[in-house]
Amino acid sequence: MDLYSVVTENKWLLEALYTLIITSICMIIVLKTDRFFKLSLHNGIRYFRNAFLFFGIGFLVRYILGLFSDFSITNADIIKVIFEYFMIMAGFFLFYSLVWKKFASKNEYSSMFNSKITLFNIMAIVLALLDEVWNTYNFMFFSQIIIFSYTSVISLINYLKKSEKFKFLKFYFIGMLLVFAAWILNFLAASFFHWHPLILINIGIINVIFFFLFLYGVIKVTQK
Amino acid sequence: MASKKRERLEVIKDILNTIRQNREIKPTRLLYASNLSPQMFKEYINELIAKGFIKLEISDNEKKTFSLTKKGSDFLQEYKVIESFIENFGL
Repeated sequence: MDLYSVVTENKWLLEALYTLIITSICMIIVLKTDRFFKLSLHNGIRYFRNAFLFFGIGFLVRYILGLFSDFSITNADIIKVIFEYFMIMAGFFLFYSLVWKKFASKNEYSSMFNSKITLFNIMAIVLALLDEVWNTYNFMFFSQIIIFSYTSVISLINYLKKSEKFKFLKFYFIGMLLVFAAWILNFLAASFFHWHPLILINIGIINVIFFFLFLYGVIKVTQK
Repeated sequence: MASKKRERLEVIKDILNTIRQNREIKPTRLLYASNLSPQMFKEYINELIAKGFIKLEISDNEKKTFSLTKKGSDFLQEYKVIESFIENFGL
């Protein structure tokens, strides 16, 4: 029995395990960074923490969406909108954690309801609703491909500037490339390959590597 | 912009370190030690009080002194780790 058969025959078990691994990693990162944010009140840490909170919730909702779709339960549409909203916002938060200094105003007391994040919220809701209306995922895919192409470039610049002193910048850049590749593969799988399971397995592997990479980074950098 | 933010965190660390070394310190002495303009000093002090890192105590004879809170002491201990985290993740 090959790997492909094992995966397809144990789809639900593996989906549950996949969701458990990613949401657990996200929650560990959120808890670790939340402590640092509360001590420093540094906005970059705050948006980074929010990104992983939204990734965690997004993957959990994705699992629920999968259950709804596979068992033909009605009202899956609203779950799809919620899933897309959290995934798009996670991308926006991660992007904004890298560039917030360029746009920050002095009175940004809330990380959820300040003017920039409100704009991101509106964009995320509109994109998720557009996908729902057009019965596609393309608005989410394109927004994330654009966002992660930007974050890849920013993290490459950070890496080239300071890689000697700060070792994780290299892995951060690799992480951004992985997510960028995962979103492109998602788009290709949906548009040209009818969600071929083999491509989805590869996307899953890339995602797991990305989240483990960031978990490693957070633990390594924050250990005393 | 990144270095400006680092400087800000460094200023906070320096102010907290000065207070810790003195246990209690008068505002004028802290102002000189911080090497900031009075306006900037006031902004930092207000921020540190608002964050709960330091507290202002006024004695019976109206003498004002700053001292470090537990949160401020925790921040100093974690400062290097937080700074490393910010730089390593490009935040």
